[in-house]
Amino acid sequence: MANLTIDNVIKTYGQTEVLKGINIAIEKGEFLILVGPSGCGKSTLMNSIAGLEDVTGGRILIGDTDVTQAAPKDRDIAMVFQSYALYPNMSVRENIAFGLEIRKVPKPEREAEVQRVASLLQIEHLLDRKPGQLSGGQRQRVAMGRALARRPKLYLFDEPLSNLDAKLRVEMRTEIKKLHQRLGTTIVYVTHDQIEAMTLADRIAVMRAGELLQLGSPQEIYDDPANQFVAGFMGSPAMNFVPCRLVAGDAGLGVEITDGNGNPAWLPVPNPERLSGHAGQEVVLGIRPEMITDPVPHKAEDPLVRQVPMKVLVTEPTGADTMLVTEINGVELNCRINPGYSTPVGETVPLMFDMSKAVFFDPNSEARIDRA
Amino acid sequence: MVKSQQTFGQQLLRYGLYAILGVAALVYLMPLWVMLLTSLKDIEEIRSGTLFSLPGSLNFDAWSKAWSGACTGSTCEGIAPFFGNSFKIVIPAVAISTLIGALNGYVLSMWRFRGSELLFGAMLVGCFIPFQVILLPMARMLATFGLANTTTGLVAVHITYGIAFTTLFFRNFYVGLPKELIAAARLDGAGFFFIFRRIVLPLSTPIIVVCVIWQFTQIWNDFLFGVVFSGGDTQPVTVALNNLVNTSFGGKEYNVDMAAALMAALPTLVVYVLAGKYFVRGLTAGAVKG
Repeated sequence: MANLTIDNVIKTYGQTEVLKGINIAIEKGEFLILVGPSGCGKSTLMNSIAGLEDVTGGRILIGDTDVTQAAPKDRDIAMVFQSYALYPNMSVRENIAFGLEIRKVPKPEREAEVQRVASLLQIEHLLDRKPGQLSGGQRQRVAMGRALARRPKLYLFDEPLSNLDAKLRVEMRTEIKKLHQRLGTTIVYVTHDQIEAMTLADRIAVMRAGELLQLGSPQEIYDDPANQFVAGFMGSPAMNFVPCRLVAGDAGLGVEITDGNGNPAWLPVPNPERLSGHAGQEVVLGIRPEMITDPVPHKAEDPLVRQVPMKVLVTEPTGADTMLVTEINGVELNCRINPGYSTPVGETVPLMFDMSKAVFFDPNSEARIDRA
Repeated sequence: MVKSQQTFGQQLLRYGLYAILGVAALVYLMPLWVMLLTSLKDIEEIRSGTLFSLPGSLNFDAWSKAWSGACTGSTCEGIAPFFGNSFKIVIPAVAISTLIGALNGYVLSMWRFRGSELLFGAMLVGCFIPFQVILLPMARMLATFGLANTTTGLVAVHITYGIAFTTLFFRNFYVGLPKELIAAARLDGAGFFFIFRRIVLPLSTPIIVVCVIWQFTQIWNDFLFGVVFSGGDTQPVTVALNNLVNTSFGGKEYNVDMAAALMAALPTLVVYVLAGKYFVRGLTAGAVKG
């Protein structure tokens, strides 16, 4: 049984459609991440689930109950806000117990629940402080504690980590993941950070301009994007998009490329049967930076791997890898290189193209043309 | 600590600035000083001495006469009974207008509805309506409701007139509070008044102080509404003061007038001194985020 069902939800402000018919169903215990650029409607969808905004059309079900018209307090939902929204005039203890107090839970039970949540989040020593006396990370924990205390059916997280500094963000990310694995809670989590999305989610919903573009596991979204937008949004550095022509060569279907020195080369495609209808047409090749590397001997025999001499334009060492920028077909190409591989800027060095995960898009509609 | 090196010219400018400020302060303090001196003199000294001559001895006769013996029109009980009248008007009027302003501000900032901005704009116009304009219609209204010449009627007038200002204060203060606080409380299950009482009001101390000082000063110092809408025994102290100054048997008793004026001004001063530091803080609250 689905824990949360979003059934064709539409939201309009005047003439503007912010949500254009969203359909998502989440199982109990699932961690769903809504991701997309600013203004894609992910926060509106979140607020609609919470009941803070009315929807124009469609239904929202929690369990079997239709809550489309229900008040926020009747939905059994807890939410963690980007700004934490702790009540400044109350102590941490009172903040956590507030929802229980309103629901007329007897005092001893309230105390026990505060203790349980506080020890879970390791904030026992902060219980008598006011939010103003806490650091950002501590406030974040208290905000989660307040959500956990009521044991609701559904948790909503609205960009909860975006106000933390980078190090703390990674720590809290792990913390949230552990908490989810331990408690088996159902979570809907909004973020615009694609790394957060990849690391935390059971499933990711990628949204743009009020539309759900793709819903799938992080690996599906990463390896098998529905269109060029999803492909470009997930992954850092972003996937390379190279305009090129599909041609039938000696070894089957492939794409023609021209490197920075003007020399032509030919790369094979992974699923030629799906692309045969497009032979001779212009397409956009999508290939992730980690699939273009320094030559690795054991892969050289792979039929989908080609070694091509490429001109080095820029190198950016990151320590673990070196990002190398080169050029084909007039566009810049990011490659992920072993730092030990010598790539002097301006020289031409052989690079290895692994085409096994290459994807292809229609240059006009940006839709995938080689999906199963 | 590093002491900044100032040139002679800069120092001169600084002392010049202090001198100008000092003079300005003197100009403002002078009338108060003269009032205080005059109230402590007897009639003989006032007649023979200059405005600034010091009284021969500390003499509080004028103060006690102003408080309990001076004639204000037909009665000669000083301004004491009218002090009571003023408090009977000010306390409920300030309390009620502040409370209504807080509720209005809460709704107009946190529970916006279609047309709420328009309503707020319309209420703002209330801040700019001169007192004189509403005198006649208000008199008719009070008569219709049987409130003419009563304390209740005067309180009602002050509340009505004050709501525009109090709403403005509270609305602008609440706009600076994070919306998520309300959203979080709604998800926690709190209702409209519960959120107001438990979350919004406890955060409102600075703006409540501003509102109370403002309303107290306005209503305590009001003369026009007081003289028009009050009866003989419900007059506020400002009206009594006017009557006291204008009632004279024989010579003018400047010392009594001054003492009465000083006394009438004291409560607003006390309120400002006690809560003044909140006033400046509250007026600028919300101007800077954080």
